[in-house]
Amino acid sequence: MSSKNKPIANPLVVLREEFDEWAILFDPDSGNAFGLSPIGVFIWKLLDGNYTIEEILRKINNNFEDVSENAKEDINNFIKQLVEQGMVGYEMNRIDKN
Amino acid sequence: MIISKREKKKENKYHIRWIYFYLTEGCNLKCRHCWIAPKYQNEKKSFPSLGLDLFISIIKQAKQLGLRSVKLTGGEPLLHPKIYDILKFIQSEDIRLVVETNGTLCTPEITKEISKCKNPFVSVSLDGSNSETHEWVRGVKGCFNASVDGIKNLVKTGLKPQIIFTIMRRNKDQLEDIVHLAESLGAGSIKFNILQPIARGEKMHKLDEVLTIKELIDLGKWVNNKLSSLTKLHLYYDQPLAFCPLSKMFSKDGSGCSTCAILSIIGVLADGSYALCGIGSTVPELIFGNAVNDSLYDIWNNSSVLVELRNGLPEKLEGICNRCLMKNICLGSCIAQNYYRTKNLWAPYWFCKEASEQGLFPETRINPNF
Repeated sequence: MSSKNKPIANPLVVLREEFDEWAILFDPDSGNAFGLSPIGVFIWKLLDGNYTIEEILRKINNNFEDVSENAKEDINNFIKQLVEQGMVGYEMNRIDKN
Repeated sequence: MIISKREKKKENKYHIRWIYFYLTEGCNLKCRHCWIAPKYQNEKKSFPSLGLDLFISIIKQAKQLGLRSVKLTGGEPLLHPKIYDILKFIQSEDIRLVVETNGTLCTPEITKEISKCKNPFVSVSLDGSNSETHEWVRGVKGCFNASVDGIKNLVKTGLKPQIIFTIMRRNKDQLEDIVHLAESLGAGSIKFNILQPIARGEKMHKLDEVLTIKELIDLGKWVNNKLSSLTKLHLYYDQPLAFCPLSKMFSKDGSGCSTCAILSIIGVLADGSYALCGIGSTVPELIFGNAVNDSLYDIWNNSSVLVELRNGLPEKLEGICNRCLMKNICLGSCIAQNYYRTKNLWAPYWFCKEASEQGLFPETRINPNF
């Protein structure tokens, strides 16, 4: 299966977790930083190229209460923003062995 | 949410969104920490205040430049001899009103006029939960009860005043009590201010009447993590953004963290001077002109300091402020304070500088590439 629909985090970007479960994503190349809520941190940790948006949504539903009805759209927008910042991409032209 | 990008605007595309009017040269209290240091005014002695005609002219000019809100402060703004005319004019212009007052002159009549303004917000200073402490800070006997009465009058009018409590060694153990007092009075929120080393506040710093940076940071954590959970009131601990929890800054149900809108503000002093803010009363080089002779359009677009700030913020910030990941939204926290201390617009904020030197600056908020 193609992994074009499985977002993958830029490995150079650093996740800095803080005491209240929020975190800062920091891109050392650009100096850009991004504030993440606890659910954003959860999503970020799933951006390893192994999960589609639907799979990420399923995991969120299994791990968080009161997930918004618009969660899928929110995740898409969140990842779109990260892509625009160069913090996330999609692995192209790779065929998964599974 | 992105916290490290700020779009530069093209030259002259900055709007005046706020005017801070320092309406009176005098004040009816003698606060030992005041950063404006106005003259003490009582029945025997009074001092100049901004003329009504000048006030109206400034507002009219500023509306052409995008004005949306005014803050009336001082001195003590409610001491102004034509405060009713000022409030009525603000009502007629449909601009938002914010008032910073010591509360002692918040009569039912004045609070009624304030409440008729657009989306009014009033903050009242209370620096102690009892008269002994508050009056030690404020220097005038009887002012505690007068301020409390003022808050009650504001609440009766339907307003939800914010109590501003400036933290110092003398009152550091009264934070919980001030929350209880604010609840009982019907206030809407409390802002805990850190005492700035400007003017009289500088003297208090030299006398060690303020908390250390470590004490302030620890107290901030306690307010944000513990005290906030004990009350329905919104509590704001006014520390630099680098020390503000992200959950406070961005969470929909958080209480937020305040920043200075330095690039959309101009200050007007009681003599009509245009200045960066109230700092013009102690730092003459941060006065840009005077409303009597100068057009606001010219001042806003051509003042070298304002142009320099627009071009230089935040990239030119120095020291820890340059390395801080919050710099695009924090903008050096308080340029007025930074300049007062060093005569350099780009100097780092004193609190962050000291915290950094003591190894207390949050590592997650530092750009390691600098």
